[in-house]
Amino acid sequence: MTQAPIELEVKLPSAPSPSQPLWLLAVVVWQTVLALAMVAAAVAMVTGALFDLTGLGLVLMAGLALAIAVASGTAVPLMLRHRHSGRAIGVMLDYLVLVLAVFITLQAIGVFRGLDALGATFRRAVPLLAIVILGWLLLGQAERFGSRAERVRRAGKWVMIAGAAAVAVRAGLLPGLAEFFVRLAKPRALLPALVAVASGLAFWSLRRSRAVWLFGSRRHQEEALDGFLFVSPNLLGFAAFFAFPLLFSLFVAFTAWDGLTQITWLGPDNFTKIFSLQFATVDAGQSASDVLKFGYSELARFGSLIVGARDPAFWIALRNISLFAITAVPLAVIPAIGLAALLNTKIPGVRLFRAIYFIPSVAGVLGVALIWKQLYNASVGFINYGLRRLFDLINLLPGVEATAPQPQWLSSRSVALWSIVIFFAWYTVGFNTVLFLAGMQGIPGTLYEAAEIDGASPWQKFRKITVPMLRPTTFFVVATTTILALQVFTEPFILMGPQLPPSGPSNATLTPVVHLYQEGFRRFNQGYASALAWVLFLLIFAITLVYFRRQRKSEAGMG
Amino acid sequence: MHRRLFMILLVLAFVVVACGDDAATTTTAAPTTTVAPTTTTAGEEVTLRWRTRPDNDQEAGVYRAVSETLDGQLEGITLVYEPGGTETEGYQQALLTQLAGGTAPDVFWIPGADIAQFVGARVILDLRSYADASGHRDADFYPGPMEQLTTDPATGLPGNVLWGLPRDVSAFALYLNLDLIAEAGAADPRQLAAAGDWDWEAFQQVAEAVRALGPDIYGYGQSSWWGPVGFWANSGGGGFFNEDRTACGLDSPGSLAGLAFVQDFYATGAALTYGEDPEPVFKAGNMGMFQNGRWATPGIRTVGFDWDVVKLPDGPGGPSNWLFWGAYVVNANTPYPEQAWRLVQALTTAEVQAQVAELGANIPSRVSQAALDAFLTFTPPENNQAFLDGLAENPVTEAPLWNGDWPAYRDAMQVAVDAVIRGETSIEAFRADICAQLNQYFTP
Repeated sequence: MTQAPIELEVKLPSAPSPSQPLWLLAVVVWQTVLALAMVAAAVAMVTGALFDLTGLGLVLMAGLALAIAVASGTAVPLMLRHRHSGRAIGVMLDYLVLVLAVFITLQAIGVFRGLDALGATFRRAVPLLAIVILGWLLLGQAERFGSRAERVRRAGKWVMIAGAAAVAVRAGLLPGLAEFFVRLAKPRALLPALVAVASGLAFWSLRRSRAVWLFGSRRHQEEALDGFLFVSPNLLGFAAFFAFPLLFSLFVAFTAWDGLTQITWLGPDNFTKIFSLQFATVDAGQSASDVLKFGYSELARFGSLIVGARDPAFWIALRNISLFAITAVPLAVIPAIGLAALLNTKIPGVRLFRAIYFIPSVAGVLGVALIWKQLYNASVGFINYGLRRLFDLINLLPGVEATAPQPQWLSSRSVALWSIVIFFAWYTVGFNTVLFLAGMQGIPGTLYEAAEIDGASPWQKFRKITVPMLRPTTFFVVATTTILALQVFTEPFILMGPQLPPSGPSNATLTPVVHLYQEGFRRFNQGYASALAWVLFLLIFAITLVYFRRQRKSEAGMG
Repeated sequence: MHRRLFMILLVLAFVVVACGDDAATTTTAAPTTTVAPTTTTAGEEVTLRWRTRPDNDQEAGVYRAVSETLDGQLEGITLVYEPGGTETEGYQQALLTQLAGGTAPDVFWIPGADIAQFVGARVILDLRSYADASGHRDADFYPGPMEQLTTDPATGLPGNVLWGLPRDVSAFALYLNLDLIAEAGAADPRQLAAAGDWDWEAFQQVAEAVRALGPDIYGYGQSSWWGPVGFWANSGGGGFFNEDRTACGLDSPGSLAGLAFVQDFYATGAALTYGEDPEPVFKAGNMGMFQNGRWATPGIRTVGFDWDVVKLPDGPGGPSNWLFWGAYVVNANTPYPEQAWRLVQALTTAEVQAQVAELGANIPSRVSQAALDAFLTFTPPENNQAFLDGLAENPVTEAPLWNGDWPAYRDAMQVAVDAVIRGETSIEAFRADICAQLNQYFTP
């Protein structure tokens, strides 16, 4: 294999070489065409000739086109001067354009929508997978056949290929192939496909060894380029599915938008609405609406002092989530330490118990919530039934006559939130137990041996060794459980519905995420919902920051 | 190298297979049929995607069968049926996201109360010109939904527009556990209704008699969303809104009378605790009367006791009920509006409606005698007439606020009304503040 002389210093020409290689000229022509086409596209978008874009959509799309044009235009003279920077820009740009063009082509052809259909048709091809498995078995067991091993291996390979082909054909390869070319032939798919081919060829040309030599690229520059290309799938995924939506939601938080119609810029109005409070005094015979400004509703009343809010639901959600987190987090963490300590012993059947406690965490929260919903039913649910039977037993005792409590688990304003707390703690404690168990198993046994020699009791060992040594695990568990608690949504959504809204009886289970869901998807206020999401994010961020600081101080103290 | 090439070829093969999406979905409907490539040139075969919200898998299956039948009947149209999720599975959210992303089906179903929002967002098509050209008559359907489906958003009044056609209609009835009622020695509500004596007082007597059977037995149960709650306000002679739906009407004497009755009634303890899910209690045989819509019928058909239905009791405002409905509408961005209209018409024929109504969850939205007669045969319950009475006797049509924000109004109202029924807010305190609070959701 020929190694390019990338360690050598190459004298870079300061002006375009009179005789450029043909492949470079082709790449330069492509980059020039791309730059001009993108400028034309941006102009067409602004004038309305291309797409029907306005506002943010126009800014983003035209901006993207111009950015590609500028990058491509910049790369051209640098390439002609054989500068590595020109090549680097070209490689990255052609790579991004290739990815973009492939996605647009697939979208235009309808492949993404078709993936659902693939799921449906693949089922009928499943039996043929047996052929593939047979081939795989032959391949894997070929050594057993001694001198005929090579022949068996080859047979196994071809059986696998035949099986895969049969699966593809049975799943609809032939009609799909016909449809693929029919759709590809249409301009809206063909144009991006041609762009993908051109940018792909340019990318390939610029990545070849002769390009490395021509542009005088050094090893560290090549490594940097390789590094960027290697991490690019992750970076692109992060940008497309995390960074962009995050920034977009921040933008939307400052607008009025229902997700369908034109976005209207509001400035900080959504945030102002969230935090707007009014304090007023109310006289006898006056109602809240007599003293509160238009748009404000009563939030709380303290004697004659009335507190109004433009969004009382936000404050109610804040109160609920505070109560929820304060109770649910300790209930999900403290028993987990105890359970982990028990499971860390060598009692018989401990492995079975470890699995049992972890089961809630691997079960889907939605399905488990539906079961709890039945358990919580006040009239025909098992919990209240169990209470009745338990009190029947107690009442058998002489002189005892007690009435079984029958809590209205989901319909009582004073109980509903605690029902969610119990479910959340039950669901989370198993996972936390496993984390604590892992932490405990990382504590050096010598510490316990030393303590035993010193005559420490089991409780003293737990308090003086286990708990302090678990501090990093405890920090992690408390921080993640708190974040989970502050984002609680599925539990009230499933347990309360459909006979009650997820906000529960008299908003007793209204949490910030439930509130933003209701605003975003039931009232279609995407702008306001985004603002609520950002407020919640800042709240969680602030709490996590406090945790981190306390943890650092604690570590410093220990050090 | 060969292995890598093999893997790449395999992935590409599946990408290509995924291209046969329309064909593949058709295959889902009819697994034995051969897939035909889709052509989309005007004048030739066009492919239409459509979706509705079934209440259960069985109903989804019926819609799939309907799609297959219509696929063969509608010349030049290939149908792709995309079963939507149920209400709790985020039907609306998925639809909204697809509309925002430009990938919504050509024809889809929406609840009646959402029509104004979809019209306001200009995501559904005005079908009037197509309807006029095809000889469609608005009068063939229940007038309440058609009034909403012909409302001009500029005026909030019926105009020369058509936003879709109602898929079906529904009304409330009281599902009766006849065994419990007989055991309690209470009068049969069906006989009381036939004699014209089925009013609030009679209803309360039956409920209390059943409740007296035991601590686990309840006389009555209702869900706590706006529909069951609103019935009492309507029945008292009031309603959620004023006459022309431009302001809150919950402080009217009729509304307050209804809420006062239901508050007092719940205070007696004859009903299942407000907010508890009544359906499992009724199905367990522990409830005498359960208020719900026609959609609950398929689930109730599985119970092991003697049951039937009766119309809701008459209040001071006379007989009352809700007329619930949803409509098939056409995506404003469909490239085939004329074909989409033909599909909407085909989906709302008497034959198709009968096919769906036979399952028990729906009532045809056509007012033809043939459709009504057919509905009466879809038993049990024996007394299907109770639903038709509910639709005939002064029902309030489920409707959006053309000049306001119904979702916000609904949510704020729900909290306030819940507090009244639970006895946490007095009727007087409710009256003093409710409309000042809710009127902010109307557009001035």
